[in-house]
Order: sequence, then structure tokens, then C-alpha cells
Amino acid sequence: MNILEKMTGTTQSPRRVGGAEVIWSWIGAFLGIALVGAFQSMIVDSIGQSLLIGSFGATAVLVYGAIRSPLAQPRNVLGGHVLSALVGVLSYQIAGDIIWLAAAIAVATAIALMHVTKTLHPPGGATTLIAVIGGDSIHHLGYYYALIPVGLGALLLLAVALLVNNLQPRRRYPEFWF
Amino acid sequence: MKKQCAPLMLTDEDILEAMQAMQSYVDITPGTFKEIYSLSYDLALKRIRSLGKAEEIMTCPVRCLTRQMSITEAASIMAHFGISGAPVIDDYGAICGVVSEKDFLNKMDLPGTAGIMSVVRECLTANKCLVTGLRVLTVEDLMNRTPITANKDTSMAELSRVFTEHKINRIPICNSEGLPLGIVTRSDLVNSICQLG
Repeated sequence: MNILEKMTGTTQSPRRVGGAEVIWSWIGAFLGIALVGAFQSMIVDSIGQSLLIGSFGATAVLVYGAIRSPLAQPRNVLGGHVLSALVGVLSYQIAGDIIWLAAAIAVATAIALMHVTKTLHPPGGATTLIAVIGGDSIHHLGYYYALIPVGLGALLLLAVALLVNNLQPRRRYPEFWF
Repeated sequence: MKKQCAPLMLTDEDILEAMQAMQSYVDITPGTFKEIYSLSYDLALKRIRSLGKAEEIMTCPVRCLTRQMSITEAASIMAHFGISGAPVIDDYGAICGVVSEKDFLNKMDLPGTAGIMSVVRECLTANKCLVTGLRVLTVEDLMNRTPITANKDTSMAELSRVFTEHKINRIPICNSEGLPLGIVTRSDLVNSICQLG
């Protein structure tokens, strides 16, 4: 296969999912994000922290919209987020003076670490990036960033996924735990 | 007992090793892959089974015997053309029976499971010819009078089912008047599936 042949692709896009899958994805994502958001306004706001970060939107896509993917399994959701958060904080501490460099180190290293630990979870890439570019409110959390908002938020999304994804007879979650 | 073709089952270990051999991250679990494999296998099987009709795989023209033909003449024809069975036609040319090696063996007072080796053994040990008694018979005495036939549109799947269910080796294909158009043997069926691959 030469390079041009490779670029043209080799197969076709999978078919559209059924209506039930669309509806259940919506319900799961709504409840999951709502729970994290509500948790923020009820509890975490009182101690001055934000819980809803951008990468949870991406996690919602996986744990409610692509629930059979290995990327969406509990090991990957929890491991991917927490490890990526730690990598992000470390990268900022090492190279935070040059933001673009810290960001690149963070994302690249997070992917490598997730691969090695079998916890690949795409939203981890956003989590690690946010640790670098998230501004002072994130930076001053230090390594606690990996616990709150990242660890706690991921845990809440996972809890909703475990419940909602198993309500419909044809859906089940997870495929594996660890 | 019905023989069945079970799909080749993959183990989780097979899939895990294959995924590792791909050298990149594959976004699917072994369990899901196995499910997709098993479902697509059934679909492929269904597609293959719906392919091919008797007409496309039958041997034609078919060598036919007549009812009044002597056994000797029938045996000569079968030996000459190297066939182990043939349909029998009546005066109008319609199929009224089928003769096979098995029918010859049945007339030799051998047990039901007897094959060509039983004949060889009998000849060697008893030193007698088992077939001399058959000389007086005609094809009509020998033939299976309720022949199982199919038409040109019968699917390969159906033919395969008939072969297995009735434990026969050939199915004459006839038109609506019962006139022979051709014959499908087990080998015809096997060869046609090889072409599909």
C-alpha cells in the first residue's frame, strides 16, 4: 500500500445507531452532566471549587454514547482522567513558563502513560491540557486537581453510566472493570 | 441424526493475540468482536446458502437407465460412464426411480451397511461370485421406486438438506412433467461451494 492509497481509506463508516441508542445516550448524558453540575452548585461551590470541566463533555460522549468501547470502560474513565490530571499538573510545574511547551508535554505524555497503563481515555487529553491552560483557579489546586474536580467528576459520571446504561434490556455496561 | 456445520469459534485468546499483532490500538473489546464475528458469520452463511440453484450446479445431460433394462446392461452403462447411480425413466421419459450402487449391494444378501469392501471380502474368502444371482433381474427390480427429485430452482441449501436428511448421494433434477434435466451429486455441491470461495 503506498501513501496515497493509505490516505484514501480502506473501509466505510459504520451505520447509524438505532433510535433507542440515540435516546438513551441523551438521557445518560443529561443525567450525568446534570449530576456533576448540581454537585458543583450544592457542595463544591461552598469550598470554592469548580467541578464541571470541559473534558467531562467528552467523557459523556463515551460513557453514554459509545458504551461498548474499551475507551469508555471504568478502568479507562477513572485511570485515564486521574493519571492525565497528574501528568498535566506536573507538566505545568516543570515547564509552565512556556505554556505551549507544557501543553504539548502534558498531552503527549498523558497519551503515552494511558497506553502503558491500559487506561486510554480520550477525554484524559483534555483533562491534562486543562491542568496547563486552565488559568489560576486550576493552577492553585496543585495535585488536588486530580481528586477534585477530576476524580470526583469522573466517579459521578461513571455512577450514572452504571445505572442508566443498564436500564434498557439491550444495553449493558461495563464490558469489564479492570 | 442431522449433521451440522458449526461456525469456527474464536477464543478470547485468539482475538487478543490478533489484536496485539495489529500493533495499534483497536477500539473494540474481544467480547464485542466475538459477538460481531458470530453475527456476521450467520449472515454470511445465510447469504452463501441463498446463492446458487440446482440449475447452476447440476450435471447435464444426465445418463438415464430404463425400467426394462437388464441389470447387466445397467451395470455396463454405469461402469462405462464411471457413475455410481442413475435415474430410471419410464416409457414416457419421466423419472420413475433411481438406481445406485447401494441397490446392487442390497440385492447381494449383504448386511445393510455393506460397501464395496464387503463384496471384495466375500469374493476372497467365500470364493464365490455374489452377483451371478442378479443376472435375471431388471432395473425395475432393483430401483428405488420413490425417487427424491428437485427442480431447477431448488436452492443449494435445500439440496444440501435433502442429501443429509435422506442419506442419498444424488438428486435428479426434473421439470414439471418429471422429465430429467440433469442431476446434482454431492460432489457437484461440494465443487460449487469451492467456487464461491
